[in-house]
Amino acid sequence: MKHLLTILLFCCIPRSASAQDGDSLRVGVKGFVDTYHAVRTEAPNNWMSSRTRVRGELRLEKGNAGAFVSANLIHNAILKDRSGFQLREAYGYYSDDHWDVRAGRQIITWGVADGLRLTDIISPMDYTEFLAQDYDDIRIPVGGLRLRYSREKWCFEAVAIPVSSFFELPTDDNNPWSVGPIPIGDEPTRRLCNMEYGGRLSFFLSGIDFSLSALHTWNKMPVICDGIGQYQRMTMLGADCSIPAGQFVIRGEFAQYLDEQQTFGRSSSTNALLGIDWYAGNDWSLSAQYAHKYVSSGDLRNTGLATLRISKDLLHNTLSLQSFAYVDVTNGGIYNRLSADYALNDQLHATLGYDFFHADRGTFTVYDNNSEVFVKLKYSF
Amino acid sequence: MKKIIFILAVALMGATAVSAQKLTGRDVIQKVKDRPDGNTRYAELELTLKKKNGTTRQRKVTSWAMDEGKDTKKMMFFTYPGDVKGTGFLTWDYDQIGKEDAKWLYLPAMKKTRRISGSSSKTDYFMGTDFTYDDMGSRHVDEDTHKLLREEVKNGHKCWVVESVPVDKHEIYSRKVSWIRQDCLTAAYVEYYDKLNKLHRVLTISDVNKIQGFWTIQKMEMKNVQTEHSTVILVKNSQYDVKIDKALFTVAKLEKGL
Repeated sequence: MKHLLTILLFCCIPRSASAQDGDSLRVGVKGFVDTYHAVRTEAPNNWMSSRTRVRGELRLEKGNAGAFVSANLIHNAILKDRSGFQLREAYGYYSDDHWDVRAGRQIITWGVADGLRLTDIISPMDYTEFLAQDYDDIRIPVGGLRLRYSREKWCFEAVAIPVSSFFELPTDDNNPWSVGPIPIGDEPTRRLCNMEYGGRLSFFLSGIDFSLSALHTWNKMPVICDGIGQYQRMTMLGADCSIPAGQFVIRGEFAQYLDEQQTFGRSSSTNALLGIDWYAGNDWSLSAQYAHKYVSSGDLRNTGLATLRISKDLLHNTLSLQSFAYVDVTNGGIYNRLSADYALNDQLHATLGYDFFHADRGTFTVYDNNSEVFVKLKYSF
Repeated sequence: MKKIIFILAVALMGATAVSAQKLTGRDVIQKVKDRPDGNTRYAELELTLKKKNGTTRQRKVTSWAMDEGKDTKKMMFFTYPGDVKGTGFLTWDYDQIGKEDAKWLYLPAMKKTRRISGSSSKTDYFMGTDFTYDDMGSRHVDEDTHKLLREEVKNGHKCWVVESVPVDKHEIYSRKVSWIRQDCLTAAYVEYYDKLNKLHRVLTISDVNKIQGFWTIQKMEMKNVQTEHSTVILVKNSQYDVKIDKALFTVAKLEKGL
């Protein structure tokens, strides 16, 4: 009840965000209420998801300092333990013309890849319902400090994360998205020596954006080794770039994982991605990516994953059609989310969609029978 | 003394007549582009989209702009409706023909900034309105060839009538005809013709006032006469020469938000 009141309080605070006076307290509120339901299209045609939630986001700012809180209140009819209050982000910040310091629970994103993670490995993913959720809901915040110094054409970012977060995997058999009962070892204890730290130097130029990054971190997705899911230290050295060229933007990302935990022990891996976005005009947009992973030892050294996104806006941007597919190139599997989103009015959107899975081997095999249709209503405020 | 004044008056009249004779369509469009608008600008835009059946939708945008020589940097955030609130655009508009503008889009839900194409979106409609990105931005004078057709009074204002034909044949219009007010150097009315040379869209600018000494468009309506869909833009709280640092026009600030 206390949580419900907190969320309602977020929604009821008067909006005075437009105040321009730097010394006055500025309050910004936004959020949404949405309800999402999905049913399996194959036998036994059971409910795959049924959840309703309120999201509240509150920003308080005075002068150069501020605080931001984002939280969910959820009712989940399938996964009962997912119902209740969920704090997402909660951080304080100080920001002037060049410095931006942020401390607390926050989502940190790096890289230029779309839906794939190479250098973007700080905030892990919540796979409770695999990828059949809004992408922004899948990211898990970490507890840490982010310091940014920016100039006109470059920016340096340093991160220190004493409170790491790790992937959430569905291992409960009652969850239609369960990957099975995997024994997972303990997460690293929250000690100073287990802290993650790193930095990213980015350049924004008229013909190219590029970044260099380094991070001392953990494999946040547990790797089964000796019969148990393990978390081990590793170091990432990365780089990424975006190059606009007419109607196209070419994206590239590279990450070397030193001493990455593998199923047979520790070994470095090389990860590279090439992507292309085509802004074709008339509200058409296409994007294709291919990511390759090479492990320097072991049996399965090369794996590939591709994505393809096609979207089209119609009826003065009130109807948005989209197809986003993950293709497991190594094993021939596919997960394709097709959706049609219609804006009933300024606040209310209705979405109808279909998730298609097909795989005989590889990552998507466990979900081969999880194809589903879904419907979502979302009211934003 | 009277004689001197008479000679000066004759000389001035003569000079004016010569300059009027030599005025070309390009000169008029260049005058519009060169109209003083301060080195920095702030405005809040309210966009109302009207369907043929009368139903309306709204978008609200807050924007800042800063001139750097002939180039312009712009930062824009959506403030309404809720599903796009916080979405930001950063644009570095280059005056040089052939140099692609630099553009970034920040999506708050993804917490990610994307570098987007600097050229393709120009002919797309801005967020479902009847204005293209090109209409909303500043088109280079030499991206069209201009012809001064005549002078006439339109909506009570003395105007130059200029026909502009795009150099790039891939533009969405085949030509446009603009009625440029001679008193304040803003358009009063513009007709856009499609590839079949049929009237496609009509822009009417009905409210132009001086703010801080600068002529400011405060209301404009673009109507697609073929679909009868229209968009009204109200420009509110316009401010010029506002104290903003060029550090505002960076990706870091785009990600920080309003």
